Amino acid sequence: MDPQALVEAAKYLAAGICMGIGAIGPGVGEGIIGAHALDAMARQPEMATTLLRTMVIADAIAETTGIYSLVVALVLLFVV
Amino acid sequence: MGGIELAFDPVVVAVGLGVTAALALLFLWVRRGLPRDPDAPLSRRAAAVAWAADFFQDQVLGGAAPALAGRLLPLVVALFLYVLLCNWAGILPIPYAVSPTQNLNVTVGLALMVYGLTHVYGVRSKGVLGHLKGYLEPFPFLLPLNVVGDVGRTLSHGFRLFGNILGGALLTAVMGRLFAPVVVPAALNLWFGLGMGLIQALVFTLLAVAYIRATAE
Repeated sequence: MDPQALVEAAKYLAAGICMGIGAIGPGVGEGIIGAHALDAMARQPEMATTLLRTMVIADAIAETTGIYSLVVALVLLFVV
Repeated sequence: MGGIELAFDPVVVAVGLGVTAALALLFLWVRRGLPRDPDAPLSRRAAAVAWAADFFQDQVLGGAAPALAGRLLPLVVALFLYVLLCNWAGILPIPYAVSPTQNLNVTVGLALMVYGLTHVYGVRSKGVLGHLKGYLEPFPFLLPLNVVGDVGRTLSHGFRLFGNILGGALLTAVMGRLFAPVVVPAALNLWFGLGMGLIQALVFTLLAVAYIRATAE
């Protein structure tokens, strides 16, 4: 078998696995953040705008590792 | 990082300059609509400016000290509008037009600018020594952690915008190639282009304000 073809196949497989597993953590984390923000908003509707702003920042931070895995997947696809 | 290099992309530069020109025209147009006399009755443009200033004061700068908030307001409005228009430029029906923010050089450049501004505002409010002392807190032996934290924070600030915008653009392109070539990209552009562009511009601005407030307060 052509080793170059093997590298090509491994590249696509690795990018898929990287993105698939890397998306689990941010997904769960953002779900937890959203659920708790909704809890708090339901309890204190007058705080909703402050909570929304804090929630968006927290979402962005939870998303960071997902973005890292996207960057790694892109490097695997287009650079390696 | 291998293929992601400091490349000069004329399209990105052109779209970035176009966005700058559009913003300059918008600001000049708004400025012309403002009455010279402060006691004149409120014009529509003046009301819009007041509403926008209130919105940014409450939603983006909410909780910041009033003196700092006043100095940050022009920066925040310009940063938000620039990133927003850059995100939205990708869905314009112009051939080859891409969002400048899906280029890593642009987003990391913006993040580095914000990182530099954290030092400017930190030194301005606390003095050079007071600002440098912030790196020894809460404990002096955490200095390496604080320095690494600065680097990681700035890089992830740039990567976040880059990854979200590029991811949306790639997904739209792949879906358009795989499925119906008209309807699906239109719907995806609506979400990833307009919706995500707005959310990510807001997130970028909010994080910039959070970083500057962390050093300046």
